Amino acid sequence: MLRTIIDFILLFIIMVTAQAVVFNHLVLWSVAMPIVFIYWLIRLPVTTGTNTTLTLAFLLGLTVDICSDTHGMNALTCTLAAALRLPILRLYFPREEDLTDPEPSVRSLGSGIYMKYLFTFVTVYCIMFFIVEAFTFFNPLRLVMRILCSSIISFVIILAIDSLIHSRREKRL
Amino acid sequence: MRDLINFIIRFSSWLVFAFYVTLSCILLFNHNPYQHHVLMTSANSVSASIYGIANNVTSYFNLRSINEDLQLRNAALETEVVALRKQVDDYRLREYADSMQVAEPLQQFGFVIAHVINNSVSRPYNYITIEKGAADGIRPEMGVVDHSGVVGVVNVVGEHYSRIISLLNPDFRLSCKIKGSDVFGSLVWDGINPEEALLEELPKHTVYNPGDTIITSGYSAMFPEGVPVGTVIKSASADDDNFFTLRIHLLTDFSQLSTVRVIDNKNIVAIKEVENSDLHKDNE
Repeated sequence: MLRTIIDFILLFIIMVTAQAVVFNHLVLWSVAMPIVFIYWLIRLPVTTGTNTTLTLAFLLGLTVDICSDTHGMNALTCTLAAALRLPILRLYFPREEDLTDPEPSVRSLGSGIYMKYLFTFVTVYCIMFFIVEAFTFFNPLRLVMRILCSSIISFVIILAIDSLIHSRREKRL
Repeated sequence: MRDLINFIIRFSSWLVFAFYVTLSCILLFNHNPYQHHVLMTSANSVSASIYGIANNVTSYFNLRSINEDLQLRNAALETEVVALRKQVDDYRLREYADSMQVAEPLQQFGFVIAHVINNSVSRPYNYITIEKGAADGIRPEMGVVDHSGVVGVVNVVGEHYSRIISLLNPDFRLSCKIKGSDVFGSLVWDGINPEEALLEELPKHTVYNPGDTIITSGYSAMFPEGVPVGTVIKSASADDDNFFTLRIHLLTDFSQLSTVRVIDNKNIVAIKEVENSDLHKDNE
């Protein structure tokens, strides 16, 4: 249990730093922006209480907001996404009590379901984030492009990070 | 009472959810960037020091292009120095010693050189973080330029770091004019291309040519008159507008910012005092 908590604190720091230092600056054709720190929310154990999940998600969003000067955009989207996390998981895996491991992962869900869950979550996050962002300049074509490209690039990068973390864990086991 | 407690317990997730959503909306819709607290921006010491470390690594990557820019700038300055020297000699010859004071208004401006440690160009509201703060004499509302043109204006100042509102931020409007004429308008970013912006509110009769240089008007204490901002690309106004709008190509390359100069207007305190005393008189 303690090890899981330390693992998650470490992952939080790594994800936020990576987002702030690397991925915020890795914008392709000024539309595709990788949003990678939400991997932390994706991996949060399903047994975490709703209030705790919401609080952690808000803090995650706020930290990223402070680092990238987005004032509440990520905090708002993270809170909404945290509320939608279990409903999204239930779309593909109706009884989360059957999970062998409370952390959603390739091992506990199977790669097909895990990928679907990951992709839906990332897309939902991107849709919400860029709609909030579009309050400033509304340009429908650009909005759709940003949502599409950012979802795809975030999904691919998160998959890569996921496989890195998994191969390391399996070696350790 | 017990019912109330039961209610709160049963709907606690909804209450927590509503609380966080409200809190983030307050942060999101608090649109005056000058009211942000330094802790809530990238100028706070923790995130700024992370950016500082990252910048130590990445700042080497574009040294070559910076070097080229500096060479060009150096060459331009050298020619300018030669031309000025010639002019000064001319004046001396004419024994027109008083004209030496022409340069004096420029002496009210000092510069603080600062390194950019964080910068964005792809968001709707872009900000820049630099590694100089109150300890180095930076104050809010100082203008910031780089070697090619205007960059932005300081808004949140920490002890050793500060945050600049980039020109690529709709919260920042800059009073500019077309070089060689006295018509002035307001420059604002339209959120599409980090290399272009709009010069709005020009009078209908404005005469311009594509390629004309846009410079600061000097109507604010932040920038001296004549700092280059961009060049005219084309007209961007609809026929029925009351004002004229131009699309401007910005001279500053925001995606490659590395070293900037913060303009310290030594008279700013005096100017502020005068402005405030006028305000008080109006109120009375």
